[in-house]
Formats: sequence, structure tokens, C-alpha cells
Amino acid sequence: MIRGLVAAGLGLGALGLLLGAAGFGVPDSAIVWQLRLPRTLLAGLVGAGLGLSGAVLQGGLRNRLADPGLLGIGGGAALGAVVAFYWGLSARFAPALPLGGLAGAGVACLALFGLAGRAPSAPSLILAGVALSALASALLALALALAPNPFALAEITFWLMGGLQDRSLGHLALAAPPILVGMAVLLRLGPGLDALALGEDVARSLGRPVGRTLLWAAIGSALAVGAGTAVAGSIGFVGLVVPHLLRPVLGERPARLLPAAALAGAVLLLGADLLARAAPLLLPLSQEPPLGVLTALLGAPFLVRIARQVAP
Amino acid sequence: MIGRLLVALLVCHGAQAAGVVSLNLCTDQYLVRLAPERVAALSPLARDPSLSVVATEAAGLPWVRADAEAVLKLAPDLVLAAEWGAQTTLQALERRGVRVVRSDLPEDFAAIRRETMRLARLLRVEARGVALLAAMDATLAGVVPGAKLAATVLEPRGYTAGVGSLADSVLRAAGLRNAGSGRRQDLETLLAHPPALLVMADAPAYPSLATDFLSHPALARLPTRRLPPAMLVCGGPWTADAVRLLAP
Repeated sequence: MIRGLVAAGLGLGALGLLLGAAGFGVPDSAIVWQLRLPRTLLAGLVGAGLGLSGAVLQGGLRNRLADPGLLGIGGGAALGAVVAFYWGLSARFAPALPLGGLAGAGVACLALFGLAGRAPSAPSLILAGVALSALASALLALALALAPNPFALAEITFWLMGGLQDRSLGHLALAAPPILVGMAVLLRLGPGLDALALGEDVARSLGRPVGRTLLWAAIGSALAVGAGTAVAGSIGFVGLVVPHLLRPVLGERPARLLPAAALAGAVLLLGADLLARAAPLLLPLSQEPPLGVLTALLGAPFLVRIARQVAP
Repeated sequence: MIGRLLVALLVCHGAQAAGVVSLNLCTDQYLVRLAPERVAALSPLARDPSLSVVATEAAGLPWVRADAEAVLKLAPDLVLAAEWGAQTTLQALERRGVRVVRSDLPEDFAAIRRETMRLARLLRVEARGVALLAAMDATLAGVVPGAKLAATVLEPRGYTAGVGSLADSVLRAAGLRNAGSGRRQDLETLLAHPPALLVMADAPAYPSLATDFLSHPALARLPTRRLPPAMLVCGGPWTADAVRLLAP
């Protein structure tokens, strides 16, 4: 499974260097290294962070509907990044962009756990997430409307729907370290999540109290999702879909699921990004469809299916 | 004697007192250049140096949002606006008997001459209109046509200036050939088929994704000429300065 995912990721990554608006192939080395390379690597990294965070949140919250986008963590990250970007903080100090995303995602995580409690029922968690997402989108629109640049509000689609067009190596350098650190934090949570799957008491007796596991899940998700959203906008459903696709093959144990979820998230977003790039070449479109639209088209039917299974 | 002076003052006051409100960035600039003393309010964008060539003057003048109530409170005798945008506000003002004049924003020098004189007559400052156009023509006459290099004007979000646009008129007046299509140009296609000269606006005062695009490192290797961003926003007598900056 892991090998298959690695192979798929490398294959799609190679394709990512060969396909773009200028057509298929290598028209110019600058196009490959300065446009397609950062875009491809970011798709892989952002997708990996989202997939892994989704798997950890589903395990930690013991809820199959958990997803950083649905729960408002992506929305919080976008809000933080918007404040850092449009008010010129990131123009003066570039790392302010991922830091803003990280701070927003962190606040959203704290608010979520505060609103929904420790082991929330599926509906109460999702309701808290819906409330947070709605609040984050509203504040995002408000922030863009109040931004010093009078045309900022027109850019709301990027922040709500995501995209990787014309990202540079600079964006990659800003986002990669926090995403990688966040993924390292999340990947170490496997044993804690396994213990938690047996119940809170068992987890505590195994020396892995639920509070600590959730705290690290929040820190890891804030790093991985926050920095990714700061450069790629909010992209939903990757974290929701990936664990569900993997469970029939890998089983229920979170520890086994986590590395595969990171890889599958990367593969999924690489594929979605290639679709976004190919769309204007194949269809009479004047621009690329936002990345989050493609993941939502895939993910929304999934959400309906899972919600039916979860409902009594 | 005193009575006649008073009457004269009153008449003079009556003709000049009520001011002119401009609700559009482009008419803001015409109004400030033609009749700054008549300004009752400008649009808030007029004071933004990245959009307006009269930002310095506008900073000391009042501004108003395109909101019928806010404009009515100023009791203007004339409202300047564009053919598009804020039309419901303008209709509300017209229903209340305010005179609204819509400017068809000029995209070439012939239209700039017509619009400058039309607004100058409207504001009863024809001499100033003539002077502005004379200065414009002097600047244009000083431009030596070049070797018709292919140039692409790259605007925020990657739009290029097409035929018939203001930027197209500026390129032609500067002796360049417009290689832009008027459609959105992605970075890859631009790098795969680079123009001889890339024309971009300077980085604006406030960040946005649209202008972030223009500072992508992949563009750094193309020969580029940068213009102050306010220069290509609205066509007016000041557009001659953009031609001067682009000419070889």
C-alpha cells in the first residue's frame, strides 16, 4: 500500500513537472523549476498535511466526520493569513504569512475543543465545526472588506477555495518547514491514538492521557494545515476523504493509517492540481478551476455517505 | 454701493458655492486637475497614490462614499460619475433633482481631448482645459518614435492590455507594438513566448494576490519597464507622462 502510494505520488509529481498552461513537455527550464516545481511540491506537501491531519483528528476525536476544513481549522488559518498578508506584515517579514496561518489555525483548534468538549458526539462536534467555519468565513470576508487594498475582497475565492497557480519557490520555502514539523508531530501520535481507540481510561492507564494526545493533535494540525492554507488557501475534504479510502485496505488502527494518510493526501491533491492545470487545456475555460472546488466535488458525496452511516 | 456689492457677492456666491461631487476615481482626477476649488467631495480612492495621480491634492480634500444620503447631505450642484458602477445611487440622486453627469472614460488621446474639453466646459473652466491639453501635446510631441518593439502590458492578476485599451494607446504613442491580447495571460505562456519588453506597474502600496503575481521571481529575467501604478488606471491629460516614461 505504502509503496503503491509512493509510486503514485512520484508519478504524479513527475507529471506535475511536465504539464502546465504552456502545454505538455519542457518548454523552458525556468517554467519547470520556477513555476511547476514549487507548485508540484506544494501540492504534495499541503495534501500530505491535510490528509494526515484528517486521520489524526478522526482518531483523536473518535469521529469519522472530522476534517480540518469542515471543523473550521482551515477557515481560521485563512483568516490569520489574510490579516498577515493584506495588512503588509508579510511584505515586511515574509514568515509572517505562515505564522499568521498557524496562529489562526491554532485559535480555531482551541475554540473547537473548547466548544465541543473532550469526546463530543458526532453531531455536536460537527455543529461546533460548522459554527466555527461560518464565523471564520464571515470574519475573512470582513477582513478583506476592511483591508487597505480596495480590491482585496475580489480575492476571497482564493482564500475560501484554494489554488496553487503561480506559487513560487519562496512560498515553498515559507510553508515547507512548518508543514514538515507539523507532520512529524502528527506522525508520532499513532500509539496515543491507538490507545485512545480502546477508551479514555485504557489510554490513561497506558500513560497516554487523552488531553495530551488532543493537545499535540491540535499543535500538529495547526502547523501542518495553518502553513499550507497560508500559501494555498483553504482546501476542504482531503482530510475527510483520505482516511475513509484507506480504512478498507489498512484497517481501523490509527497508527497504521497515519503514514498512509499523509501519502494518500499528497497523491489526492497532486491529482486534483493536475486536473486543475489540465482543465483550461481541455475545456474552453479562461482560467483554472479553484483547487478546493475539485476536492469538494470529490468530497461532498463522501460526506453524505459517511453522514448516512454515522446517523442512527 | 454697499447694496450692489452685497448683491454681487451673493450672485457670485450663488454661482460658486454649491460644489461638485465626484464618485468615480477617473472623474476625481479630472475634477482636481480642472477645478480643485469646486470640489465638494471626491471618491475615497482619489487619495490612494497607487491609483490616483492627484493623491497629494486629494489628501487635503473631503471624500464621500457612493451613497445617496451621504451625497445629498453635501447638496452638490453637480455629481460626476462613470457610465458604470453605483448606478442605483446615481438614479436615486437624479430622482432627488441632483444633476448627474456620467463620463465615458477615454481610452485614447482623441477621446482624452474630447472628454477634457467637455468637462472643462461643464465646469466653466475652458481655459484650464486648453492649458492641460497643450501641456499634454507638448509632452507627446517630445517623444521620438522607436523601433516598434513588441511589448506586453501585464496588469494585476495577469491580464494583458488588449487593442483599444488605454495601455494600448500609450504603447502606440510611445512607438511600441502591443503584443497583448486583452485576455488573461498565465506566467507559463508568457515565459514560453516572451515579449521584447514587459510593461508593469510598480508594486502598489498595499499587498494583494493580484499584484503579488507581478513580482513572481520567474518574471525577473524578462526585460521590464515599470510605470507608477496610477498612470494607466484612468485616461486623462496626465497619460502623456506614461508615454514619456515608456519611449526609448
